[in-house]
Amino acid sequence: MKLWILLTTFVLLSGVLAQNTAYQPDPDWRAPQAATAKPNPLASKPEAAAGGKKLFLRNCTECHGQDGSGLMKKHAADLQLPVVQSQSDGTLFWKITNGNPDRGMPSFSKLPEPQRWQLVLFIRKLKPEN
Amino acid sequence: MRSTYITLFVFSLFASVALQAQESPYFVTYDHHLEEPGNLEIETSSTVGVPRAGQHWFFAPYLELEYGVTGHWTSELYLEGQSTAGDSTIFTGWRIENRFRPRAREHWINPVLYLEYENISEASRIRKEIVGTAPELNESNAESRAARAHELETRLILSSTAHNWNISENFIVEKNLTENEGFEFGYALAVARPLATLASGKNCRFCRENFIAGVELYGGLGTTQGFGLHDTAHYAAPAISWQISDNASLRFSPAIGLTHGSNPALLRLGYNYEIRGFSGKLARLFGAKP
Repeated sequence: MKLWILLTTFVLLSGVLAQNTAYQPDPDWRAPQAATAKPNPLASKPEAAAGGKKLFLRNCTECHGQDGSGLMKKHAADLQLPVVQSQSDGTLFWKITNGNPDRGMPSFSKLPEPQRWQLVLFIRKLKPEN
Repeated sequence: MRSTYITLFVFSLFASVALQAQESPYFVTYDHHLEEPGNLEIETSSTVGVPRAGQHWFFAPYLELEYGVTGHWTSELYLEGQSTAGDSTIFTGWRIENRFRPRAREHWINPVLYLEYENISEASRIRKEIVGTAPELNESNAESRAARAHELETRLILSSTAHNWNISENFIVEKNLTENEGFEFGYALAVARPLATLASGKNCRFCRENFIAGVELYGGLGTTQGFGLHDTAHYAAPAISWQISDNASLRFSPAIGLTHGSNPALLRLGYNYEIRGFSGKLARLFGAKP
């Protein structure tokens, strides 16, 4: 029984420690004004978020984790944090498109534009479990 | 002879199994997308050459290891061989290729600089680039294998994305460092587009979003001793890629020869497998802390 408690504590603790709660955005990684103002063309199609989830699991979990909380070892953004969620759809789209290669975030411009908007739709659904 | 065929077959088969990312369908043209940092892509491809009268069929497989060194730099190693019907099966050499993307953000035109060193023999048939004048295809493997070539290939890659279309142009300059034969020139142009631009919510293998179709046009532009289209090889090649799984994709391209110096057709097939976070996995294997 004690072993189970110990193991559960260890697993939960590893999960917390693996999250990048200390994420600090790169101040130089800013979307231009025109990009930040772009609305998500799929905003009226919430069902498209399902496709976004599939794309997220395929392309993003390696660094951001399945729940988007960001892996510390990858210095990846915790996408659940208000500092990310408060950014406009256009900003998130621009960041996915261009990446930030000097900080390890690749460009996903190879995905068609609607798929990048689907990713934005899904990122909006990432919320802390508690 | 028989054992060499078996070795080559097993080599190709192993490469296929070990392999995996939505890949552009191009075989000759490069676009501006580099490998993600820390990822390793293993690819096996082959070129089958349909002969003209008096020539022989050939099958030229190659293994490609592509690694994302940084967000601006991708490096690749190639190992290649070929088998000519009625002749022999031989290893034709290796190549090291580097692509550098100087500008970080997406632009209307995205330039990439390409530099490749080739240690191959004249028997190489993979046709990764078509440069200079039309190749001599009547030599036996024994003859052409004896002629080693240390070559330097450079490309200026210009690539754009417009309305979900990729448009890429490559300008190629190659120099044989072994022979004093000047520079050889070539080009590769391509366009491609996914068959569907929205991702469905379900996991499916045959959804249209998993396919990218395009067309390539490539050929030689002569040498410094004779620049132009005279006695050069040119191909038009429809191409398609199919993402089989999250990490694996398959590509096919039948290239049609457009001039007398071209093969009537080149059939290209490629399979690639991407290992995400390869550098981290490798580091952990050797005891590095996560």
